[in-house]
Amino acid sequence: MAMASQPAGKEAVARATAAVAAGIKACEAYDRPDLAKRLERAATSLAEPSVPVVVVGEFKQGKSSLVNALVGANICPVDDDVATAIPTSVSYGEQQRAELIFEGEPPAREPIDLGDVRRWVVESDPVTAAVEPEPQDTNRGRPVGAEVTLPRKLLSGGLTLVDTPGVGGLGSAHAAASLAAASMADALVFVTDASQELTASERDFLIKARNLCSAVVCVLTKTDFYPRWRTIAELNAKHLRDLGDPPIIPVSSTLRSQAAATGDTALNAESGFPELVTFLTAQVGGAAAQRRAATAAGEVATACTQIEAQFEAERSALDNPKQAKRVVAELTEAKERASALKSAAAKWSQTLTDGVTDLTSDIEHDLRGRIRTVLQEASDAIDESDPADTWHEMEAWLEARVAHELIENYTMLRDRAIELSERVGEHFREASGGVLDAIAVRNPEPMLAGAKIDHKIELERMKVGKQAMVALKSAYGGAIMFVMLGTLTGISLGPIALGIGLVMGRKGLRDEKKRQRNARQSQAKNAVRRYCDEVSFVAQKDSRDTIRRIQRELRDYYTGLADEFNTSNAAALQRANEAAARTKSERTKRLSDIDAEMARLKQLREHAMAVTS
Amino acid sequence: MTGLLDDTRAALARAINVYAGTEDGDRLTQLRTRLDEPLRVAVAGRIKAGKSTLLNALVGERLAPTDAGECTRIVTWYADGHTYRVTAEMTDGEQQQLTFHRDEGVIDVDLGGLPPEKVTRLLVTWPSARLRTATLIDTPGIGSLSESVAQRTWDLLSPSDSDTAEAPADAVLYLLRHLHSHDLEFLRAFHDTEVSQPNPVNAIGVLSRADEIGVGKLDSMTSAGKIAARMATDPVVRTVVQTVVPVAGLLAETAATLTETEVAQLRRVAELPVADADALLLTADRFATRMPELGLTSTEREELLDRFGLFGIRLATSVLRHRVAATATELAAVLTERSGVGELNELLRSLFFDRRDVLKSRSVLAALDALTRASPRPGSEAVAADVERIMASAHPFQELRVLSAIRAGWVTGKPAVLDDLEHLIGGAGAGISQRLRLSDDEGHDALVAAAAEALDRWQRRAENPLTRHQLAVAARVAIRSCEGMLSELGRSS
Repeated sequence: MAMASQPAGKEAVARATAAVAAGIKACEAYDRPDLAKRLERAATSLAEPSVPVVVVGEFKQGKSSLVNALVGANICPVDDDVATAIPTSVSYGEQQRAELIFEGEPPAREPIDLGDVRRWVVESDPVTAAVEPEPQDTNRGRPVGAEVTLPRKLLSGGLTLVDTPGVGGLGSAHAAASLAAASMADALVFVTDASQELTASERDFLIKARNLCSAVVCVLTKTDFYPRWRTIAELNAKHLRDLGDPPIIPVSSTLRSQAAATGDTALNAESGFPELVTFLTAQVGGAAAQRRAATAAGEVATACTQIEAQFEAERSALDNPKQAKRVVAELTEAKERASALKSAAAKWSQTLTDGVTDLTSDIEHDLRGRIRTVLQEASDAIDESDPADTWHEMEAWLEARVAHELIENYTMLRDRAIELSERVGEHFREASGGVLDAIAVRNPEPMLAGAKIDHKIELERMKVGKQAMVALKSAYGGAIMFVMLGTLTGISLGPIALGIGLVMGRKGLRDEKKRQRNARQSQAKNAVRRYCDEVSFVAQKDSRDTIRRIQRELRDYYTGLADEFNTSNAAALQRANEAAARTKSERTKRLSDIDAEMARLKQLREHAMAVTS
Repeated sequence: MTGLLDDTRAALARAINVYAGTEDGDRLTQLRTRLDEPLRVAVAGRIKAGKSTLLNALVGERLAPTDAGECTRIVTWYADGHTYRVTAEMTDGEQQQLTFHRDEGVIDVDLGGLPPEKVTRLLVTWPSARLRTATLIDTPGIGSLSESVAQRTWDLLSPSDSDTAEAPADAVLYLLRHLHSHDLEFLRAFHDTEVSQPNPVNAIGVLSRADEIGVGKLDSMTSAGKIAARMATDPVVRTVVQTVVPVAGLLAETAATLTETEVAQLRRVAELPVADADALLLTADRFATRMPELGLTSTEREELLDRFGLFGIRLATSVLRHRVAATATELAAVLTERSGVGELNELLRSLFFDRRDVLKSRSVLAALDALTRASPRPGSEAVAADVERIMASAHPFQELRVLSAIRAGWVTGKPAVLDDLEHLIGGAGAGISQRLRLSDDEGHDALVAAAAEALDRWQRRAENPLTRHQLAVAARVAIRSCEGMLSELGRSS
């Protein structure tokens, strides 16, 4: 199955590319540059695919080594001690290139030397940082990510590997951000080493990941070093059985790197990497290719439908000259409907506007409710203990607790956004079907057998319900992902000034301790409140931005379609007028031309439909 | 120091009188014996941190079972005793003697049909010189996928508020595998809150499985040393453990139990041409299966891997090849030294064993304090007053309190001054030479001179009106520490 889907994906893309090229030609031939433009965009997304795969795992499990070994280059820093601090993405490019991305709106980029990537992405060491201060520009924020391109065959299918920091543990707010980012990626590679079986926090993370990510693979690293890695793999398989049984791929990055250095293919096979590569290119890349092909094919079919509608109107006018007037009259009437589809008063547009407003307020309300619960729990916990003893536990607990709520909130946003885009699509489809029918102006006499066309644009085929995800994903490969990954890392609870004095001597020891304890408790509560405020603020901005992106993308998409309908209508009207003026012999000739064109379009549509079969 | 133990005993005696006949009475009697028993040191850490392996290395015998999967599921005490015996203590308080057999040294206990969740702990008594200095407690790992297993360790190390039982361990060796947030959470929970605030006094951090840090590179221990040193200076780590040392537990355990047969097997690998040996040792799988001409069965190879790990085999064969060692005894010495366990033993001595009376008193006083709060009865107030008096006035406790205050950042000053203060009050070991930062073989006169100089230095600091209040309070404790050293030196001359 793994082997079969690779050519299937590639073939589907090849078929879709051919269909899109034919479609562009047809659009140009029929003088529809607007439709051609849409298809050109489809062609670009077929030619320059982006398949982000996020690499996640606990601290020091060998994530960076894995990415390095996969692409055969020393990009991500590997060190016994220091760890990756900012995410690094590695994707295809004909030139080796590296860029740093800085926090900001929009995020600033700055090319850097490939060899310097490691210097930027490791955790800053307080000792060296003091000696060599980081070049801090006041204009740009802190670096949030590094982007590297490499000319590697593995990456040529659009695969983008994202190495994430393991800092903070899997229960932190930062892990939650990684998970949200990974939910838009095509796959999540979970890295755990063979030194021990999965821990409770790793399993918790995988449970959450399973609900958010389409494909999860568990990679067991360092198999060269741990003799009992097979036992560990079996134990992990047992732990994962009820989590959808994701595949476990054992690998040795050391062997792979050595194999690459010596060109030893047997050693490469021994490293276990070929299986991982197959999984990434065939399974993940293949599925992504299928999806892209299906989307492109849907665009071709939509273009066909619109052109066909024009021809049908013309044919109705030609077929029976007495009808020509009626056709023109109906098309004139349809014009209003077509422009109504474009207006803000259109039902789909209303649905979108209202839906976004509701969604924004519901998400914010949900988040506020969740944070309030956390605050209450935190405050209860503080009342029962002395922050001097429990503050650190409190910090870890709070981070994990908040992370959990953020994930829940984000999941809600995602589900609701998909629901909304389905509803908008539904409403557009209802209205547009009528408009297209009107543009086509059916001849009341029964049509020739087989020529009956259902005027529904192929929105189902395009899985327009997922348009919200498409909207997010389209921007995802770039800086947005880094920003998403990085937003929550900057927030920390930080130490509180515990204000503890040394109390010596017997008298008042207990009272003084009690007084200090009360002071600490109120300080701790303030710190928790500040943290929650800050997290809410950032999360709220994040979800607003996300919703705004979805709204913009949906609006542009459907407005574009509506514009095309208007053009179709105008063209149909023009042709119907022309038809009325034609002589009988011209009409007969034109009719047979139209039949030929319709047959060609039908063929093109069939090609497009066959892309993913 | 005897003064402190005597004071504690007196307070305990009073408590025993007050609580005689109540359900707490028995426990208090047990507390009394605890003062005379060896120090209790728990080996704790996350799951698979190598706790059992390190315990074996410290005892010098393979006692605790170790395995690739999660292994220790019941808290197990290893104590010195006249006979070899394993007893199970049940949740209902019943005790039951169990049968066991030794499988290559490892104790394989037959629970005899007892449900493991009903067993609160296993007590293994074993005649062993090492166990005479300390009773070792092996704990299930935190972060286990099995909730109840993890809970046991929590119960052991941090008795919940409602439970007035004393914390069973006096000190803890906390095994860390690189710094992990859960580790700190755990360490915090371990520290009791009354005698002093979050307290690094009774905990040593061990960067365990240190040989795995470089994933088998021969310089792994050097990397591990650097990481441990960095961790030990981390402000958060400093508030919870005294220091961090790297230990390759497996190497230490194997070194302590190395046989000539194993050395002979390793020698075959060492005698291979270097390139062949490197190719064979490239991966664990290769070592287990390749080169049949080596004359080692697959069982022998797997056993070697289990005993040494890939790093251990690489290291041992390289040592044999370069003729640094030839016999089992010599090789064991090299491996022990490389494993870092010697340094750990030294730390155990200076930080725990030299201070055992203080640590034990501390456990007992904390238990009494908890008891008098939880179940007051006529006369218990006097016990509480005793406890508070000892805690507030006993100099060793004041030292501990200052130490934790420095570590927690509550006492501020120049780093060099704080470092000096930390040493004087016993932060790096309770011995006089450690306090004065002199080598052990320094003469008596040099020690006296150094102590007098320190006394003078801190007296001036305490009296200086510009000294901050917190530091001045700490300085007075340091003065008493210096006076204590001088009087001890005076006695021994």
